[in-house]
Amino acid sequence: MKKVFVVYATDNVGTVVLEPIRSGDHVTCNGERRDIEIVAHDDIAYGHKIALMDIAAGDTVLKYGLSIGSASCDIRAGDHVHTHNVESNRGRGDLADRGAVSAE
Amino acid sequence: MAEFMGFLRPNGDVGIRNHLLILSGTVYANGVVERVADTIHGALPITHANGRCQVAPDLRVTRRYLAGTAMNPNVGGVVIVDHFKEEGMTAEDLADDIAPTGKLIATVNIRGDGGFISAIEKATRYAQDFARRISLYQREAAPMSKILFGTECGTSDTTSGLGSNPANGLAGEILIAQGGRMLMAECTEWMGCETWLTEKAASPAVAEAIIAGVRHMESRALASGEDIRGSQPTGDNMAGGLTTIEEKSMGAVKKIGDSPIIEYLEIGEAPTRTDPGNYVMYGPGMGAESISSMAAAGCQVLTFCTGGGHTSNHPVMPTIKVTANRQSFELMRDTVDVDVSGVFRDEITLAEAGQIVYDELERVCNGYLTKSEALRDNNSFAIHRVGPSI
Repeated sequence: MKKVFVVYATDNVGTVVLEPIRSGDHVTCNGERRDIEIVAHDDIAYGHKIALMDIAAGDTVLKYGLSIGSASCDIRAGDHVHTHNVESNRGRGDLADRGAVSAE
Repeated sequence: MAEFMGFLRPNGDVGIRNHLLILSGTVYANGVVERVADTIHGALPITHANGRCQVAPDLRVTRRYLAGTAMNPNVGGVVIVDHFKEEGMTAEDLADDIAPTGKLIATVNIRGDGGFISAIEKATRYAQDFARRISLYQREAAPMSKILFGTECGTSDTTSGLGSNPANGLAGEILIAQGGRMLMAECTEWMGCETWLTEKAASPAVAEAIIAGVRHMESRALASGEDIRGSQPTGDNMAGGLTTIEEKSMGAVKKIGDSPIIEYLEIGEAPTRTDPGNYVMYGPGMGAESISSMAAAGCQVLTFCTGGGHTSNHPVMPTIKVTANRQSFELMRDTVDVDVSGVFRDEITLAEAGQIVYDELERVCNGYLTKSEALRDNNSFAIHRVGPSI
């Protein structure tokens, strides 16, 4: 059983800080959230994140209990979470007309 | 209410150290300052490259750094040396700034006092007298609410945002619960989490100042031809697993906890408020300039959170290095004070890690030497420049 670290109880992602994760590994959590067991769908390197639950396209990705961006497609529990499926909500001039840019 | 044993100063401040400073007014007094400090037991030389040919706003910042460092509660006495006369910042100007603290102050002018050799003699005699007089000061009980706790992070890695920084934020909350104050600078790192900060602002004015501070730092970067935001997170950040600027910034600012932000300060400026809570200060990400601005603001103690390991130590303000990277701790065991990497191995909780950091802070406030203090590796006095040399 591999472990990832969860820094805040409401987070929906965990971070690999011990041994790297291999696709197919069973994964549980250390830190502030321990009620979750998932199966990894990807290889996930040190410092990278794994989804602890399904995150629908457009939903908020939470780390530190705060938004680190939005899912740019549906993310399944166990997926690698990174730039290919999360987009920043900051500095997004292209989204300004949708009111999605937070106050600077 | 918890207490510590500190040095009560005439103005009500409480120091955790009892230093004698030999302070350079200008770069050209550094030689005299170093000779005097070499001679006198426990004297700390403060030398720098500034004090001449600076534009007025820049010279004001230098003056705030120099006077503030001497005004720091950890200083019992100061001998100021300058070489001739710099309009806007003579040794007497600095002495005037420091005088309200009521501590021992003397000034020496290299030209006025008869040259290098005579200036060394005069300054050495003052310093000998001061060293003996402040050695009579005894530690007395004082409330922890007297502590202004500075915090910084540098050479950060994956473990910083997840381990050492949040543990540090929790340590700050323990101090704030006892009436203390925590100060965070480095507004470069607030970019991307302004909302989290402004939501904690105690007033709309504080929130506006936070936004203005970030914009100002951003405009400095733009004026240099660099867009620090267009390339954030950097390529190596992303390779390391950081996905967005929000994620990167949050990892940095989480070194303060959830308490309200009481006041926004300009660089090197002392708080005007005494309310328990968080305080934030305008300033660069450059570690030595940043921690020196916090010492000038009156922080008696600082935690320096690091991932890769760091040697930073301020001469006047004990600098406690905290890491959650076990390998860095092992490699730099003589330099890094606290290892909270146990949070990742399920040995301790984040709350326990916060308590470990706080306990170390309390010990250092009571006189326990940090590792870098014991080594006298006083490498991190540096002054932020806001203008060119003319």
